[in-house]
Amino acid sequence: MKFVFFHLMPYPYLPDDFDEKYTSMSLTYPNRHFDPEKGYELYHRYLDQLEWAEELGFDGIAVNEHHQTSYGIMPSPNIMAATLARRTSRAQIMVLGNAIPIRDNPIRVAEEIAMLDHLTSGRLACGFVRGIGWEYFAQSINPTRSAERFFEAHDLILKSWTETEPFEWVTRNYEYRYVNIWPRPLQKPYPPIYMAGSGTPDTMRWAAKHHHVYMSVIAPTQSIKGWFNGYRKAAREEFGWEAGPDRFGWVTPTYVGETDKKAVEEARGPIEWYFHKSLKQPPGAGNPPGYVPLGSMKAALEKGTRRIPTDSMPIEDLIKGGYILVGSAETVAERIMELGEDLGFGTLGVNLAVGSIAESQAKENIEAFAKEVMPKVRKEMNDAPPETSL
Amino acid sequence: MTSTQATANHEDTQFDTHEGVVHLLRGGTGQPVLYLHGIGAPPGYWNAVHEGLSRSFDVIAPDHPGFGFTDVMDDLDRIDDVVYHYLDLLDRLGLQQDVHLVGVSFGGWLAAELAVHSPDRFASLVLAAPVGIRIPGHLPTDFFLMTAKQQGQALFHDPAKIPQVDPADAVTAFQTYKNLTGVARFGWVPFLSDPKLERRLYRVKARTLVIEAEHDAVVPREITERYAASITNAQRKTLSGTGHALDAEVPEAFSKAVTEFLSSGEEASKQ
Repeated sequence: MKFVFFHLMPYPYLPDDFDEKYTSMSLTYPNRHFDPEKGYELYHRYLDQLEWAEELGFDGIAVNEHHQTSYGIMPSPNIMAATLARRTSRAQIMVLGNAIPIRDNPIRVAEEIAMLDHLTSGRLACGFVRGIGWEYFAQSINPTRSAERFFEAHDLILKSWTETEPFEWVTRNYEYRYVNIWPRPLQKPYPPIYMAGSGTPDTMRWAAKHHHVYMSVIAPTQSIKGWFNGYRKAAREEFGWEAGPDRFGWVTPTYVGETDKKAVEEARGPIEWYFHKSLKQPPGAGNPPGYVPLGSMKAALEKGTRRIPTDSMPIEDLIKGGYILVGSAETVAERIMELGEDLGFGTLGVNLAVGSIAESQAKENIEAFAKEVMPKVRKEMNDAPPETSL
Repeated sequence: MTSTQATANHEDTQFDTHEGVVHLLRGGTGQPVLYLHGIGAPPGYWNAVHEGLSRSFDVIAPDHPGFGFTDVMDDLDRIDDVVYHYLDLLDRLGLQQDVHLVGVSFGGWLAAELAVHSPDRFASLVLAAPVGIRIPGHLPTDFFLMTAKQQGQALFHDPAKIPQVDPADAVTAFQTYKNLTGVARFGWVPFLSDPKLERRLYRVKARTLVIEAEHDAVVPREITERYAASITNAQRKTLSGTGHALDAEVPEAFSKAVTEFLSSGEEASKQ
């Protein structure tokens, strides 16, 4: 099992009247609520945690991209990866990922990722994501082009890393007379590609076609199982290859306590903050028109599939639904092995500095996971720990 | 391929074009009216406005590309693409001149663009609660950043007139999503407008009526004022007791106002 310390970098300081006054902490939640002194302290605290995670033996440390929100204060994940590049030396640095459809210039993403690959001495993993609903409002990008721009930007970026002669790229979305990026990436042919998905069959098929690692978003275990099976089936039946556990990642908020009971009580505040407050999108922004292609929307409506709302689900139900990992080290380790077996994933992204968690509590949680959970799982699964871990 | 179903008062037609299948409703006799819908009254269905106008005119009511029951036409992604789409339709129907052009909301924007492109083709132009002109500080309300309930409240003045939708009705839910996606395709950015349109409006030759909804919570008054000011001799009229969706909220009053304006023009041209 590959262990990834996954960070969202939330800004957790909400005003007392937040629930009465605001429906969401994204897009239109006024930025006067961002206190620069506290923000400054948070950036350095969170980066310290990411660096410390390498010392503690995590295989990867992950950052990601979000805009105009206190859900996560990383509008540029590449800047975060750059700060980590020369202060770490072993762990994979994972950008999960760049939201390529909402960027105006995919070539800039290709250039920055190629630079980061050199700065990290080839330790970079490159994720591509669609961007969340409200971000299409925040970045003024037409959501009806979201899927098309995602696939096309991906193709353009990969070609820019592999072509060794200048080439032209002219479509309705982008026009480049000269694509000829310097530097080319260090890893051959380019850094491993990760993508996040929420089960759209087209996206799974496409990921399987390219052999990219498929990372789940927050969802019930049963849904994720269906998605991973869809990928494996497409790989086997359409593209003629067997997708092993290294092609699948599961990312989840995680909390380790002394006992199961204590863990639940300690995690309740931060976890419920995460689900009940930070995941809430502004009214109407969750699914802007065209973000889900018409065909997929039609199929979903006809099937009557509805996502179960988690915005008021108590922590006990979140545990039962398989949305989160919470319990004693023993419980969490067993659950990881059980789910790893059942879902067939080989990468686990744990969000340990979750939601509104206090600094000291986050530290304990990170340490408990690294020192009590990871060794148990590695021992049971006969995984060798990374060479330089404690 | 063309398939047509006739009812007592209108024909319901689907036909192939090189861009995809178009759905079109047509009824009544008299001078032709090209009726360009918004999304207040759901496109694709013969409604009370069509019915009212069809008492005096030959009402031609197509669903726009990607709306109602017309196909999504993937290459059509800007308003001028839709302008050419409708020039093709007029050619196909043999309507070269003296067409009355009526547009509501998004359809009003489209009607203005058509009248700018081909000023000699249209006898009259009615722009009802139109979007299309971009005025910084006075953009239409962000209709996309709303729940379905909020959208209903924004469209209608009288809450009792907001259509009640059965959440289990997958067809209506899909049509609503398709129509909103249609508006977004052409109007996400620049927001429901063509920044070039206002300075081109001097080209319009048709007799023009700009209709405002008294309680329009979507289109700022500044936009209808600019239309009226930029089109030569344009008249203005306010329909009372209605929100933005005047075609759905006060269909009789709306079709009466349009009929009066179009008929008075025909009377004047006979004299």
